[in-house]
Amino acid sequence: MLVPYSWLREIVPVEKDIEEVAEALTLTGLEVEGIESAFPWLDDAKVVRIGKIKWIDRGKNISLCILETGKEEVQVVCGAPNVKEGMLTAFCPPGTVMPDGKEVKEATLYGATSSGMLASQMELLLEGESSGVFDISSSFQDAKIGQSISELTGISDVVLEIGVTPNRPDCLSILGVARETSAIFSVPIAFKRPNAEGFKKETDFPIEIRDPELCGRYVGAIVKDVKVGPSPGWLQRRLVASGVRPINNIVDITNYVLLELGQPLHAFDLNTLKGPKIVVRTAREGEKVVTLDGKERSLHEGMLLICDEKRPVAVAGVMGGLETEVKEKTTDILIESALFTPFSIRRTAKALKLPTEASYRFERGVDPEGQKLAAIRACELVLELSGGSFLGIKDENPVPYRPSKVSFSPKRVNTLLGTDISSKRMSEILKALQFEMIEVSEDKATTIPPSFRQDVKNEEDILEEVARCYGFSKIPTSSPSATLIVERPFSQKAFFDEIKNILLGQGLTEIISYSFMSPRELSNLGLREGDERLKPVRLKNPLAEDQSLMRTNLIAPMLSTISRNQRRRNLDLSLFEIGAVFISRGEGVLPKETTRCAIAITGSRFPLSWAWPNEKVDFFDLKGIIQNLFRMLNCRSLLFEMSKRPETYFEEGTQLDFKLNGKTIGNLGLISKKVLNAFDIEDKVYLSDIDMEKVFGTLDRSIEFKPLDKFPSIERDLAVILDDSIRAQECLDFIEKNSPALLTNFFIFDVYRGKQVPKGKKSVAFRFIYRAKDHTLSEEEVQRVHEPLSRAILDEFKGELRS
Amino acid sequence: MQDRLGDIEKEALKGIIASKTKEELEGLRVKYLGRKGILTGVLKGLGNLPKEERPKVGRLANEIKARIERALKERLSGLSEQKGPRVIKGFDPTLPGRSLRLGHLHPITKVMNDVCKIFEGLGFSVAQGPEIELDFYNFEALNIPPDHPARDMQDTFYVDEKVLLRTHTSPIQVRTMEKMAPPIRIIAPGKVYRCDSDVTHTPMFHQVEGLMVDKDVSFSHLKAILTYFAQEIFERDTKVRFRPSFFPFTEPSAEIDIQCVICKGEGCRVCSQTGWLEVLGAGLVHPQVFRHVNIDPQVYSGFAFGLGIERIAMLKYGINDIRLFYDNDFRFLSQF
Repeated sequence: MLVPYSWLREIVPVEKDIEEVAEALTLTGLEVEGIESAFPWLDDAKVVRIGKIKWIDRGKNISLCILETGKEEVQVVCGAPNVKEGMLTAFCPPGTVMPDGKEVKEATLYGATSSGMLASQMELLLEGESSGVFDISSSFQDAKIGQSISELTGISDVVLEIGVTPNRPDCLSILGVARETSAIFSVPIAFKRPNAEGFKKETDFPIEIRDPELCGRYVGAIVKDVKVGPSPGWLQRRLVASGVRPINNIVDITNYVLLELGQPLHAFDLNTLKGPKIVVRTAREGEKVVTLDGKERSLHEGMLLICDEKRPVAVAGVMGGLETEVKEKTTDILIESALFTPFSIRRTAKALKLPTEASYRFERGVDPEGQKLAAIRACELVLELSGGSFLGIKDENPVPYRPSKVSFSPKRVNTLLGTDISSKRMSEILKALQFEMIEVSEDKATTIPPSFRQDVKNEEDILEEVARCYGFSKIPTSSPSATLIVERPFSQKAFFDEIKNILLGQGLTEIISYSFMSPRELSNLGLREGDERLKPVRLKNPLAEDQSLMRTNLIAPMLSTISRNQRRRNLDLSLFEIGAVFISRGEGVLPKETTRCAIAITGSRFPLSWAWPNEKVDFFDLKGIIQNLFRMLNCRSLLFEMSKRPETYFEEGTQLDFKLNGKTIGNLGLISKKVLNAFDIEDKVYLSDIDMEKVFGTLDRSIEFKPLDKFPSIERDLAVILDDSIRAQECLDFIEKNSPALLTNFFIFDVYRGKQVPKGKKSVAFRFIYRAKDHTLSEEEVQRVHEPLSRAILDEFKGELRS
Repeated sequence: MQDRLGDIEKEALKGIIASKTKEELEGLRVKYLGRKGILTGVLKGLGNLPKEERPKVGRLANEIKARIERALKERLSGLSEQKGPRVIKGFDPTLPGRSLRLGHLHPITKVMNDVCKIFEGLGFSVAQGPEIELDFYNFEALNIPPDHPARDMQDTFYVDEKVLLRTHTSPIQVRTMEKMAPPIRIIAPGKVYRCDSDVTHTPMFHQVEGLMVDKDVSFSHLKAILTYFAQEIFERDTKVRFRPSFFPFTEPSAEIDIQCVICKGEGCRVCSQTGWLEVLGAGLVHPQVFRHVNIDPQVYSGFAFGLGIERIAMLKYGINDIRLFYDNDFRFLSQF
């Protein structure tokens, strides 16, 4: 809501600095978001002298004027007949935003450079009508070159930009803001109500309301013999400063009253109304009306219409019709001032995608008692500015306004605010806001809110009025004394935080990517038909096609992130993300929403340094990260196995799945060339994808202490030449199965291919650690178990002892 | 005698300061304090003095001796420092350390954790809820019926008629109150979505919701808790301002401004010259919300609040473009 300060002060003559008023309004709930010049074009436009004129086309009055601006000389092309050498006039330099919203730009006209424009009084909204450029010399004796037009004319104002919250439609008018200002500063309202006596005459103009639940009141006022033309400068300036475009005096007056009182009005050309008659009814499906903006609107059943005897002439509360609009030739008008039901107007404006100043106010709720006043105010201005005679008024009011009482307990108000405000003070606050007090005691008070405060219905609404006017800053701060709560809501945050920290400790950096996904990202993964990740949640109104799906996996966003980073030469990346993914379950129900974790590594293993070899990461870096993660979670039962149903996005044969308690919780592998190409990634990427819900659900985190060994161990190594196709896990499983009692630990400590090992073979070295619980082992004892084990391994895998 | 002692001291100290090597210093020590040293000689000759002078001169001589000893010691350590450290061939400790690659938490996570910790310290527990929500929880149960103009306050991504991307973390309030009976104190962090995108808006961002419900919880309590929070997350002396606003699910509603952390209230670009920055929305839980979850508003009251994590992170770290958070450029991430 834009509030020209001079207009506000006309209604509430507050003698305060604008900053003080702005702060006070902000601190009582009308946030002043900015204070701007009301007529910036008058600040930008400057007095200049026309130095020289070169006629480009004398017949068409096209001239090239050389201007003395007080600084440098400027030339402009001008089409006005009244330019004279030596004349003082108004110059708008490039960059000036004119009242119609257009910016003055440097241009080449008739082959000459024109650096700005000379303006008329009409263009500057100093006058409603004028011709030729502003002849300053003839009307201002003391004009100085370089002076701004606002300084010259003394016409300047500021606008308060107020953010009005949806609960306060009463403040969508100058009067509304004035009422608040009046309550804050105890300055009485000085709004001059029109002389109702002069507009008492009733007419029998037929108004028929068929849906009183959608239109509770319809006031029609008729003025004859008006003269349609431009509005005076002052009125046009106020409209422009309030963000409304001037049209003609009649339309401008309806808009002026809307801004002033908050009641939307519409003026019909009476002679275009068939009947003449007004019928308020709902539309039939497919009915059509051409609105003021020249567009044909196809209406839906239930939309409220204003019709004449034959056809729709306006979309009620939204926009008038083109055929019945007030035009230059119009002589007789019908002014509509009606009360429409908010939800109906909101639905219609939304469905037609046609939000207007009128619909904005109707859907929030206008003063149910404000229709007649607004109609009379408009008639008053019409008679004043366009002449004519008032014929009469018709007030069709099938649902009269009935004020309702609101009761509250001042004691409860104090308890909830933590204050000690007397009921007398509360009553004063409410009276200043024009509430009528019926009874007041500490336990119970009753009030009737003014008709324009439809938002006040209950005790909590009164509480808010008292609190904001008393001043939030005066409410004391006091710490609550609270009960300890031992019941906890379900949350996985602490667990995920722990995992994040473990990954962090392994040099991984957290990313947070958008939960949106593009159809392309999804298809890039080349998932198999039937994969649930091909059932994304689709947004009805995405910002763009590439954000039209909700992600079904973290793999695609991770690869997109890597791709983006590689393009910026961030080549060495160890990244992870923990976040939600979504699988659609059909319309009207929530999707399956689960948390997953993606880990990806690419580029060098170590930062480039004298201290490390310059090597690339490989599969085992990632596998190690996974192993460490679960080790840090005290989980010993993590099992890896070759995947039986490999993912399409991993290079074949590189995928390992891992399991907890028999449940597959994730996998890791090398992203396939094809997928890398699709994501435009150059380097190899190893990626792991983990279902965090399953980890959370199956992880056994108990720690069981094992007594420290009392007796020393004996180590034995065994190097075996094996066929290259034999996997480490097979060997380890075999040893595990045939493990003698004294064997406490064993692992592979070397794998070697190359010299001294035949092609197609590899040398695998195992270390075995033997220990007895109750005595120091002897070499012989170890030998007795180690030898058969070694032999068994050689036999099982057809290996050869490496010498 | 006393003059002579003074001369000895002056001369000795001068020599010590001028000495260049340990050997030279040792020579000076022998010269003055050695068995046959000058000062030693004076002390030995004390017996020759008149009885009444002896203690006085003796004391003076001992003081001078102590001062010379101290000077010798200081000079000695000064000389040892001057000498370069031992060099081990092939070992250069000035090479950079063998530091493994470091991981970084996303700045949003960092700030989110900071926020949650402050409230957890006050006995609030973390709660969570789905990111794709039912219209009921996101709007209706929060006193925002269909056709309510307040729906315009949040540009909503819809999945279908009933399902949407939550526009705030407030539905977690409702979900929690459905399951738990008062007293309740929760903090609910999470992602939220609105169709809006520019330098200060991303279609996805993070909020933290807070809720306290108990008997006689008042606006005064809300002020205390949120002032404490603002001063913990920013600075202890941060000025805080409460100003009336509107949220359909609280009444009275407040917006909480802190004094601009950039200009300290002078007015700058970041605070649009107002000197204040809006960081929190809050209010007393609307009785209508309580009725939706069968909590009696005559018995219980409560306050709720919500804040945007990105905004806090931008202010804390001086980040000027919100889109950087989701671009995940490693050069950005590695700064946190």
